[in-house]
Amino acid sequence: MCIPKSKVRVEMNCSAVGELGKLRTGVRGRTLAGLAVFLFLAVIATPLLRAQQTDAPSNAKKEPEEALLKRVVQLEARLKEVEAALAKAQPGAAVAATAPAPHSAADPPPVAASAPQEAAPAPQPQAEQTGQEPMDLNRTLLHIRGYSDVDLRGSTLKGDPTSTTAFGLGQVNLFVTSDVSDKFKFLSEVVFEAGSDNVFGVDIERMLLTYSFNDYLNVSVGRYHTAIGYYNTAYHHSTWFQTATGRPFLFAFEDQGGILPIHNLGASITGKVPSGSLGLHYVAELGNGRAYRASEPVQNAVDENTHKALNFAVFARPERIRGLQVGFSAYRDLLTPAAVPAIDETIFAAHAVYTGLDFEWLNEALLIRHSPQGTPQVFNTPGFYSQISRRYRSYRPYFRYQYLNAPASEPIFSPSVGLRHGPSFGLRYDMSEFVAVKMQYDYTMLRGDRAFHTLALQTGFTF
Amino acid sequence: MSPRLVVFCFFFVTVILFSAGLSAGLDAQSRAPADDSLAIVVNRGNPVENLSFSELRKIFLGEQTHWSNGRRITVVMLEPGNAERQAVLVQIYKMGEKDFINYFLHGMFTGEIHAAPRPLPSSEEVLKFVLNVPGAIGYVKAPNVNDSVKVVRVESRLPSEKDYLLRLHGKPPK
Repeated sequence: MCIPKSKVRVEMNCSAVGELGKLRTGVRGRTLAGLAVFLFLAVIATPLLRAQQTDAPSNAKKEPEEALLKRVVQLEARLKEVEAALAKAQPGAAVAATAPAPHSAADPPPVAASAPQEAAPAPQPQAEQTGQEPMDLNRTLLHIRGYSDVDLRGSTLKGDPTSTTAFGLGQVNLFVTSDVSDKFKFLSEVVFEAGSDNVFGVDIERMLLTYSFNDYLNVSVGRYHTAIGYYNTAYHHSTWFQTATGRPFLFAFEDQGGILPIHNLGASITGKVPSGSLGLHYVAELGNGRAYRASEPVQNAVDENTHKALNFAVFARPERIRGLQVGFSAYRDLLTPAAVPAIDETIFAAHAVYTGLDFEWLNEALLIRHSPQGTPQVFNTPGFYSQISRRYRSYRPYFRYQYLNAPASEPIFSPSVGLRHGPSFGLRYDMSEFVAVKMQYDYTMLRGDRAFHTLALQTGFTF
Repeated sequence: MSPRLVVFCFFFVTVILFSAGLSAGLDAQSRAPADDSLAIVVNRGNPVENLSFSELRKIFLGEQTHWSNGRRITVVMLEPGNAERQAVLVQIYKMGEKDFINYFLHGMFTGEIHAAPRPLPSSEEVLKFVLNVPGAIGYVKAPNVNDSVKVVRVESRLPSEKDYLLRLHGKPPK
C-alpha cells in the first residue's frame, strides 16, 4: 500500500510497482531482472572475494615465515652444538653463554601472540637475571624528594604566646628512599622544623628498613608512624598531600600537644590477606611505645619500661569501590609515670574513608582508655573527625568537623587537653602539579574557656 | 528516461552501496585489531601467560608487587606525550597525568608502593628494558612487538584477537 507523502514520489513509486509487474511477464523484463540478479550476486560476492584475497597474501606470507622459523630452529641447534663444543673446551663458560639467551627452542617465539610483521633481530639481554642494575659504587642509591610549606597563621586564642599572627616556616621534609636490594628497601623522613622557641631542630620522623618477602609479608624495623586509624599513615609529615592545612587535633604530633603515640620505634609486619575482591590488609607492630608525657615522648633509644607497645590493624580496600578503605585498629601499652601507679593504655580506632580522584570523605573515631593499675578506675577519651571535600578542576573546597573530649580528671591528658570541638572550612587551590595554596578557617570551642577563631594561609609544595 | 531503466539504476545503485558498506565493514573488522591494539609485554623468562584486567590494573597501580615466581615487578611506562601512554592512563589507570603523578608520589611516600613506573622514551627502549629485566612489564603497539619479549594475554585474549581490551583509542573497560 502506497501512503503518499508527496505527489511526485507517489507517481514514481506507484509507477515503479506497475512497471515491475510488467517486467515479470515480459521477455525483456526477464532478461533485465536476470541481469540485475547477476549483478547483485556479483557485487555481494565482491567483498567476500576481497576478504579471501586479503587472506591470500597472509597465507603467502606464512610460507617465508615458516621457512624463517625453520631456519631459526636450525641455527639454534647449531648454536647448541657450538656451545657444547665450547663447554668441552672451556668448562664453566657454557653457563655464561647460555644464561642470557632471550629464547630457546623449547620456548618458541610468540608468532601467533603478537603477529610481528617484521621479525627484527632479537637483542641480547645485558643485565644479569637478578633484575638489578649493576651497582656503581661511585653513584648514590638514594632517591630524595622534598616536601615543605610556608604558613601565615593568626588566632584569637588568649594567653597563648604562639597564637599571634605570624609567618611560619613549616616542616622541611627530606623524604629519602633507597632500593638496597631486590628485597630490601630503605625509607626515611628527615624533618627540619622550628619550634615555638624559633630554634630549628632536626628529627628523623621515620626510618625503616623493610624486607619484602612477597605481597603478603613485609617485615620492617626502625621508627615508624603507628598504624592507628587512617590519617597517621596516609599523610605523615607532608602538608602538600593533605587537603587541609594541618592534621585533625586527634592526630596532632606529640611535640605539638598530640594525644596519640604517633611515632613508635620497633618492628612491624604488614601485608595483604588473601581475601579476593575484599582487599584485606593487616599491620602488626611491636615497639617501645611512648613515654609518659615527657619532653620527648618518642622513646628512640631508651624505653622507660620493658613492656612493649603492641598494635594490630586490619583494613579492607574492596575492589568494587576503588578509593574506599574501612578499618579497625587496637593498640596496647603500659605507661609508667614516676609518682603514680602504672597506667594501662588501650586505644581503639575505626575508620571509613573514601578518597576518589575528585571526591574525598574521611571519617575516623577513636577511644583512648587509661586505667591506673590497682584501681578500678577507667578514663575514656573519645574523639572523632569527619572531613569532606570535592575537587572542581584545580579547586577543592573542604569542610571538617572534629571532636575530642578528655575527662577533667584524666591522669595523662589533664589539664592540657580537655574538651575541644568545632568546624573548619577551607579551600585548596592547586597552582601547579606540585604547589598548592590553602586557606582555612577554624572555630574551636573549649571546655571552661572561650571559643577562638583561627585563620591560616598555607603554601604547600613538593620538590 | 525509461521507467525500467530508472528501476534498474535504483536497484543497481542500492546494491553497490550495500556491498561497499559490507566490504568496508569486513575490512575494518579484519584490520582494526592488529593495528591499534596495545600488547602487554613481559620478559621471556616470566612464567605468566594470561592476566585478568583486574590483575593488570593492580600491577600497573603498584598494588601487586611480585610475580608468582617471587620476582619483583618493574612497570615500564612510555614518557608523557606518547599516545600509548595516554591510552594506558585512560584504560588501565583511569586517571589523568596529574593524578597519575600524585598517586605514585603518595604511594611511595606512604611506603605502600615500592617504585613508580620507570619512564622510557620509546617502544624500542621498552622492549630492550623488558628483555633485560626479568620482572619487567610494559606495553607497546602490537605491530612493534618482536621476539625478544613475550606477549601476555589479557582476559585470555591476544592483541590480534577480537574483543581485545587494550587499544590505542579504546575506552576504559568496565
